[in-house]
Formats: sequence, C-alpha cells, structure tokens
Amino acid sequence: LNDKATAIVIDDEGQIRKLLRVVLEEHGYDVVEAETGKSGLTEIATRRPDVVLLDLGLPDMDGIEILKRLREWSQVPVLILSVRETAEPKVAALDAGADDYVTKPFDATELLARLRAIQRRGQEGEANAYFQTGNLAIDFSGHIVTVNGNQVKLTATEYALLRVLALNAGKVVTHSHLLREVWGPNATEQSQYLRVYVNHLRKKIELPRSKQKLLKTESGIGYRLVPADAK
Amino acid sequence: MSFAANRGAWQFRERSSLAREFVWAGAFVIVVTALALAIEHFTGYLAIALLYLLLVVAAGLRLSWVPVLSLAAVSGFVWNFFFIPPRFTLYIRSVEDAMMFATFFIVAIAMGHLTTRLSRSQSLEKQRERRAAALYELAHQAAFAPELDAGLRAAVAHIESIVDAQAALVLRLPDHVLDKTVHPASSFALSEKEHSVAAWAFSRRAPAGRFTDTLPDAAALYLPLQARTAVMGVLCIRPPKDRALDLSERELLEAFAVLIGLLLEKDHIAAAIQRAEILEASERLRRGILDSVSHELKTPLAAVQTGLAALEQQSRNYPAQMETVGEIKFATRRLNRVISNLLEMARIEAGVVQPKLDWCDIDEVVDGAMALAADALSRHPVAVDVKQNLPMTKIDHLVIEQSLANLLANAANWSEAGKTIAVSADISDGAVQIIVSDRGPGIPQEELPHVFEKFFRGAKAPAGGTGLGLSIVDGFIRAHGGRVHAANRPGGGAEFTIRVPVEVLSEKNMELAD
Repeated sequence: LNDKATAIVIDDEGQIRKLLRVVLEEHGYDVVEAETGKSGLTEIATRRPDVVLLDLGLPDMDGIEILKRLREWSQVPVLILSVRETAEPKVAALDAGADDYVTKPFDATELLARLRAIQRRGQEGEANAYFQTGNLAIDFSGHIVTVNGNQVKLTATEYALLRVLALNAGKVVTHSHLLREVWGPNATEQSQYLRVYVNHLRKKIELPRSKQKLLKTESGIGYRLVPADAK
Repeated sequence: MSFAANRGAWQFRERSSLAREFVWAGAFVIVVTALALAIEHFTGYLAIALLYLLLVVAAGLRLSWVPVLSLAAVSGFVWNFFFIPPRFTLYIRSVEDAMMFATFFIVAIAMGHLTTRLSRSQSLEKQRERRAAALYELAHQAAFAPELDAGLRAAVAHIESIVDAQAALVLRLPDHVLDKTVHPASSFALSEKEHSVAAWAFSRRAPAGRFTDTLPDAAALYLPLQARTAVMGVLCIRPPKDRALDLSERELLEAFAVLIGLLLEKDHIAAAIQRAEILEASERLRRGILDSVSHELKTPLAAVQTGLAALEQQSRNYPAQMETVGEIKFATRRLNRVISNLLEMARIEAGVVQPKLDWCDIDEVVDGAMALAADALSRHPVAVDVKQNLPMTKIDHLVIEQSLANLLANAANWSEAGKTIAVSADISDGAVQIIVSDRGPGIPQEELPHVFEKFFRGAKAPAGGTGLGLSIVDGFIRAHGGRVHAANRPGGGAEFTIRVPVEVLSEKNMELAD
C-alpha cells in the first residue's frame, strides 16, 4: 500500500460511522461516510474506493440489492457489517458478491485483518502462480502441494478445493461457491461432498496436534483458509 | 358396493306399473272397437284400420313398448276378426286385404317403437333436469350460506323436501373419528345400533343400511360424505316404513352426499389455512420484535467496542490508561455475553428457534464450541475425546455448537483453575451423544431437578452469570428434538449429556468419482 487506501463506510448509525472512521484512520485509511444505500453507491462511483464496509440493515435499500447493483459495474472488495447471528443473511450477501463479513459487535483487530485480506485479493487477482502460508506451499503451475517441504499427494478434487480456498486466502468462501467451483453448477445442494473432502484435505495438509487450524469452518456459511500471518 | 336389494324394490315398482299399463291398453282396445262398430257402417272397414293405427300412436306416447306392441298386435287381430270380410273369422280372402293387414302391422309396430323411444328419452331428459336443478339448489343453499351450520341445515331441509324422507348428518371430528352424536341440523337422532351402521359406512367409504347389502335391517340408508381426500361424515336418510327409494332417487342422494362432503372439506381446508396464516403472522411479529430489540442492543455495544479499539490504539504509550481500557474491554465482553444469552432465551421462548439441518462433522462442532467458550476455558486444560472417523450427521451446526459452548463455559465457571474439563462425542443408535464433565463441586442433590430452569442459580454459584446458560442449552436441544441430562460423577464433579437423534450419512453413499 504505497498511497493511502480509501474506505467507504455505509451505515445508518452515525456513531458506528464515526468510530469506524477513527479506527480506520488510525490504521492509515482515508475514510468516506455514507448514510444511505443510495448515497453509498454514488460515493463508490465517484471516489473509486479500495474497500467498502456495508451495513446490511440500511433503511432505504436492502443490502443484497445494493450488492447486486454494485456488482454490475464494480469489483471493489466489500466487507459486510451484520448484527444478526443467523447464517442465512450472511450467506445471501456473500453469494450476492460480498467478499467477507463481520458480526456486530465486532472486534477491531478482526475487522482490520478481514479488510487486509479482501484488499489483498482485489490487488493480486488470480495471476499469482505460487502461494505460501506457514508450512503450506502451493505451486499452481505444476499442481504441486508441499507441507514442510514434503510433497503431499492430493486427489484432483482435493487439489481443486484447496486451490479455490488458497486463491481466496483469509476470506470466507461459501459452501455453494466451493461446490460450484469444484463439482460444477449442478452440485450446489450436495453439501455432504464438501464436508467429506474438507476432512480428507485437513488430514493431509494440517499438521497433527497443531493448535492453529489452517482450514477454518465458518458454521453454516463456508470455509476460510487462515493465512499464518493473520493472527 | 351392491344395490341389489334396492334394485329388487325398483323392479317390483316397475312390474306393478306395467300391469297397470296393460289394463289401460286393454280398455282402449275395447273403447275403440266399440266406436269402430258404431261408425263402420258409414266409413267402410278399411278406414277402421286408421282408427286402430291412431290408437297405437297415441298409446306409444304414454305407455312403454311392451304394452304398445301388444296393443298393436291385439288391434290387428281385432280388426281382422271383427271387420275384414268374411267377418268373425281370422281368414283373409282378397290379396288387397292381406296387404292392408300386413302394412297395418308393420306401421303399427314401427310407430309404437318410435313413439315409445321418443317419450322415454323425453322422460329421461326431464329426470336429468330435475336432478341438476336439485343439485344446483342444494349447492347454492349450502355453499353460499354465511356459515357452515346454516348451510348444512339448508341442505338437510332441501333433501327432505325432495325425497320425502327424514335426513340426518353425522360429521367427522377434528381428530378424524366419527362424531358420537348427529349434527344439530339433523331431523332425527341415531340409536347406538344405527350409529354403528353409520360408522361402518364411514370407515369403509361405502353405503350401508336399508336398501343395501350391508346391514339391510337398519332403519335408514347411510351414505358416506366422500370428498376429494377423505370421508367428511355420513348422510343418513330415513324414509317412511313402506316407502322405497327408486334408482334415480338413490343416485341423487349419492350426488348430494358427495356435494356435502366437498362442502365440508372446503370449509375444513379454509379453516386450516386461516389457522396457519395466524400462526405465521404472529411468528413473523415475534421475529420482527426480536430482530429490532437485538439491533438496538447490539449497535451501541458495537460502538463501545469499536471505540475501545480506537482508545487502545491511542493509549499505547500510557500504561495506566491501557489498564483501564483493558478493564472496560473485559466488562464489555461480559455485557455482550449477557445480552446474547437474554436474546437467545427470548428466541427460545418465542418459539422461533428452528434447526436448519445440514451435514456436519461432530469434530468441527466440538472445535467450534471450544473457540466460542475460549474466554471461559482459558484457565482449564480440556481433554477432547471424539471417536475417530465418525460419520457425518445432519444437525444444525450453530445450535449444537452454542449448546456445547454453554456447557463448556458452565463447567469452566464451576471448576478451580487448572482442573481438567473433558468432552467426549460419539454416535450410537442413530443419535449423537456429547458429554461434558468437570471436577468441580458437583450438583447438590436437591438442585439437580432445577439446573435447567430459567434464571436458576446454584446456591454456591460463582459471581457473574445470568442463570440462563443451561436453560438455553435445554431449549436449543429440545428444539432440535433431543434432551440434555445432568448428573454427578463418581469421584466428584458434574456431568452433562446431550443426546440428539440424527440422520447419519452412510459411507457407501459417499463414494464419489475423484
């Protein structure tokens, strides 16, 4: 991040906007506030921000609707701020194009880590041929996966699964997204496939007795590959 | 279904009216012959044939075909005997007379046949019309009545006016059994014996009682009110002792029974829809209130936490302030926990906790619960014993995870720092069983039945806590169709067992192409 990154905060609660501004400015962001979905979309169009923080419960527009409209013309990373405990609204937002979510009341460290992760993805795109975090390394060009320098034999499905998660490292990937990417568009209801293969994958790439889980389960939502440098 | 008994009665009526028709036919032949004898002198014997022909045509309009044909034959012979010369013999002398006689026969038979067919189709048409009108009338009166009882009363009155018999209705109760007593709209009550005939018709979905093969000694005819999906009750018809029902009346009554059945079914379905709508509306309301309360409580908490994060950043170089910030953070987390507990309890009480089942790995649920309870567990070693290679099960991950986290936090709060807390999980007999045990003081015998009650706190409970954690576990697990059980361990400490029936994924179904 050579220049200051711009973040747009879209939330109808003035206090949350103000405090997010303080925290984000403290960590080197330029912050723009928007109170409604409509003004938020206008701000995104004119300011071209690096990241968007979007509250799902805006009075003027449904959060899903905002995401759908935004995704028609912009790929800016979006972090959802949600107050609901249940998984459905989050899954709906993620499937509509949001990049990740935090649940209010959120932890500031967690919020900043999420922002970094979705921004990184926005910048790198999918051009990188090599991925590494902690003990795990993936060579996308040669389909080679190593743990602690030892090559690990993965089946085609396991590799495809790991690849999607690694390309979205640090970011939650929904069940339906994974199923679509790995098994094709007709498999989106077959979540048991996913559980079984994630299990296989964990046994192969996670070190036994390791406190740090590489593949984190987001209950009811999906999976997240947690890079070793975050937390 | 057999209507043999009824058909017998119908045939008897037919036979008696046939005899009457023969008598009439005979009488006509005598009258016409007398008339013919009187006028033969002026007209000649050939014109007399036309007179008989006229009689056959006229009879054909009123009588059925057997008497008409007999009438035609008798007329022919009477004409031949009395009028064709030589008279008073059946002998025919001239060729013209023979031809005339043959023509008379053919024309008479043809005319008789045609006219009876015409009149028969006419009377059938009339019968159909009457029947349609009766059905329409019943449907109109019953279906457009402002309420069901008034409609049924109208239907009963209508049936009685049409078939000249008493009618009664026995309806199906909400629990799908036949009512013991007749509906208030009925004009007669059923004895116990008669009711059992009605019950037979109800359970077999077939007519029973008088005029049928089943229990024909009964006083009334019992027709099931057959609707599209179920029998809604029984229509009881009691004609006077000497009165029989003819086939068309029977058919009409059966049509009435179907109509009333459909009417009752419509009413039944409409009531069910209304009930479901009310239920849904009240659930939506409760959900809406909970959502907005949740929003109002959590938004300021989010502001406090975000503010604390900013403050923490700003006071990095001031250790005294850092300590204060740390205390506020700790208190905020505790407040957050209490609010979450209260909201969860409110969701359980409002009945809006509905498990969303999906395939899950118990291992992950245990890990997730330990992460949720990490604060409470920070000073305790946890011994995890989850059976290796457990199959996937269909559960609500969040509900079970939160329940287990509450049990872990409870165990940690009651145990001294450093004492081990054990978690074990297994699947047996189609149920997931998760056990959390500690080496704390255990649960006093008199408190055991109360530990899952709302706001119940043990006499020696450590400070903090709302007395909601365990009742939330109980509510969540019940919503999931399972049970949680508390007990004391031999050797000291408490043990909580969650048992939830689940669908287990068999490994055979999971062999996928790689």
